[in-house]
Amino acid sequence: MEIGPIWRAMSRNKTSYLLIAMQIAVTMAIMVNAFSIIQERSRMMARPSGVDEDNIFYLSSIGFLPEFDGRSASEEDLDALRRFPGVANAIMTNTVPLQGGGWSQGLRTEPGEEIESIGVAVYFVDEHGIDTFDVNLTQGRNFAPTEIMMFDPDANGARWPDKIIITQAMAEALFPDSPNDAIGRTVYIEDDLPITIIGVLQRMQAAWKEWSGVERAMLVPMKRKQNSFRYVIRAEPGYRDELMPQIEKMLAEKNTGRIIRGMTTMTETRERSYLEDSAMIKLLVFIVGVLTAITGLGIVGLASFSVARRSKQIGVRRALGATRPAILRYFMLENFLISSVGVVGGALLAVGLNVWMVHAFDLTPIAWYVIPTAMLILWLVGQLAVFGPARRATLVSPAVATRAV
Amino acid sequence: MLNMKDVSKIYRTESVETHALREFSFDVDEGEFISVTGPSGSGKTTFLNIAGLLEEFSGGTYELDGCNVTNLNDRERSRLRNEKIGFIFQSFNLIPELDVFDNVDVPLRYRKFSSAERRKRIDRVIDLVGLGSRAHHLPSQLSGGQQQRVAIARALAGEPRFLLADEPTGNLDSQMAESVMELLEDINRNGTTIIMVTHEKNLAKRARRNIFMRDGCVSNNDSALHLAASSA
Repeated sequence: MEIGPIWRAMSRNKTSYLLIAMQIAVTMAIMVNAFSIIQERSRMMARPSGVDEDNIFYLSSIGFLPEFDGRSASEEDLDALRRFPGVANAIMTNTVPLQGGGWSQGLRTEPGEEIESIGVAVYFVDEHGIDTFDVNLTQGRNFAPTEIMMFDPDANGARWPDKIIITQAMAEALFPDSPNDAIGRTVYIEDDLPITIIGVLQRMQAAWKEWSGVERAMLVPMKRKQNSFRYVIRAEPGYRDELMPQIEKMLAEKNTGRIIRGMTTMTETRERSYLEDSAMIKLLVFIVGVLTAITGLGIVGLASFSVARRSKQIGVRRALGATRPAILRYFMLENFLISSVGVVGGALLAVGLNVWMVHAFDLTPIAWYVIPTAMLILWLVGQLAVFGPARRATLVSPAVATRAV
Repeated sequence: MLNMKDVSKIYRTESVETHALREFSFDVDEGEFISVTGPSGSGKTTFLNIAGLLEEFSGGTYELDGCNVTNLNDRERSRLRNEKIGFIFQSFNLIPELDVFDNVDVPLRYRKFSSAERRKRIDRVIDLVGLGSRAHHLPSQLSGGQQQRVAIARALAGEPRFLLADEPTGNLDSQMAESVMELLEDINRNGTTIIMVTHEKNLAKRARRNIFMRDGCVSNNDSALHLAASSA
């Protein structure tokens, strides 16, 4: 191996090599951190919401006539929806996972405002909630129809029902020592109102995807007296798209004192929710691709210039006994050394940048395998980039050595 | 040890054929010191390139140290060049980024000698050419004569059967040229065959045999030149 002489030769003429090594280092630092961001966003996007996203859609009903009676209208609507062919189930609720807007509350394991509460997303449902969302009840039971509380904000009555169903993540947050013994335990809402946990869901995400407690949610058996509400409808598999215009038409015709709007599928909600993340991933992939291509072209340029500048030297080496593979190996090795300087510098730069980004943007630190993977990619890019010019170098005739110019 | 028989070399372009060597026949015995002279365009460099396996020829046969080189592939030609032939060029052709030691090391690395063997050979030849104290100087830090001595050391390090020298003193002043010539004569006296292309008659006369080329052929193959020069 000619590592020693190549290294010494490069060190005596280092400016152009250092520039390329720096370019590789910067590319690597950006590549590693971009990959880390892509990985984090992809992981976030891949989280299941817990509900049957493929078959659920939802819409809003907004009563506008003074005589519109929200309570009776919703009872009639839900009855009609549940009977509608192709509808698996339907509920009236306040929001859906990933929708972006919703309610949250704090639950405590002990009463008293001095006790720290744990935030939880609130879904108001009736006994059809679990089936409509198609969430997995892993412990306890569903609400009974008699347990559904009718809440009138204008009346003086109980503000919260006495039973709830929570997600497993909420159970773990409330009872870190015994998360699987949540059934029957009492928690407190609004400082000191006791509520008993009657069921635990495997998963149901909150409406806010970036919330650190996105996996914490609770189903509250409550119907609120109001004139604007949201229906969530789960279609039988394969019927969703067909059903949506029919449902909209049916509800609009059924009661002309309200308008129906905002018909949206859960699939669209997920796409819209992660639109920025998806765009960010595409942008980062593009940037990394362009940077890598520019670095590759830089290496091609340097190697081509180097071959042209050193054609006499290559001829001399050939005259002194270098075979064509030896010339190829020389340039590949030279590039490998430049790339090695670049990727080692890049690794340090990447770690430094990541430490800063972790502090500044609360990102996850780089996974251990990202840096070696990026090193391999950039070594490979370097070797591929230099192969063409190196191959041209092998075609230099040894007779060049005896030419005067 | 070097036998060329009816060797020809034709350079072809779309419209022109140039006969650089025409039925060139030439034998060299072991230990000879031969000078090749002739006017520009007479085929001296082409002969040198073919003799040194730097170029392929168009016709004829060429045996080098008992090996017919006519049908050798590039790898075999490179190996033969590396093992049997040492080159000395007019413009030294040292690698500017490498110091004296590494320059001399270049052909030895292609020979795949061990590190210790290479070091031993390099130290020996650098001492032989009188540059033992300058092993880690760059070519730019040496005079022309010293650079040519490094080139000679590089040519000798592999202990080749013969040296091909292309105007070895062409870029040197007379004093340096004389010292290089004396070095080549010493090397020849120690048994290395030398073929030297030159246009300087007084240097050519110092060879034991001179061939004069014209139009790609041997015009005069005169072993008496040296004797004449000696007696003069």
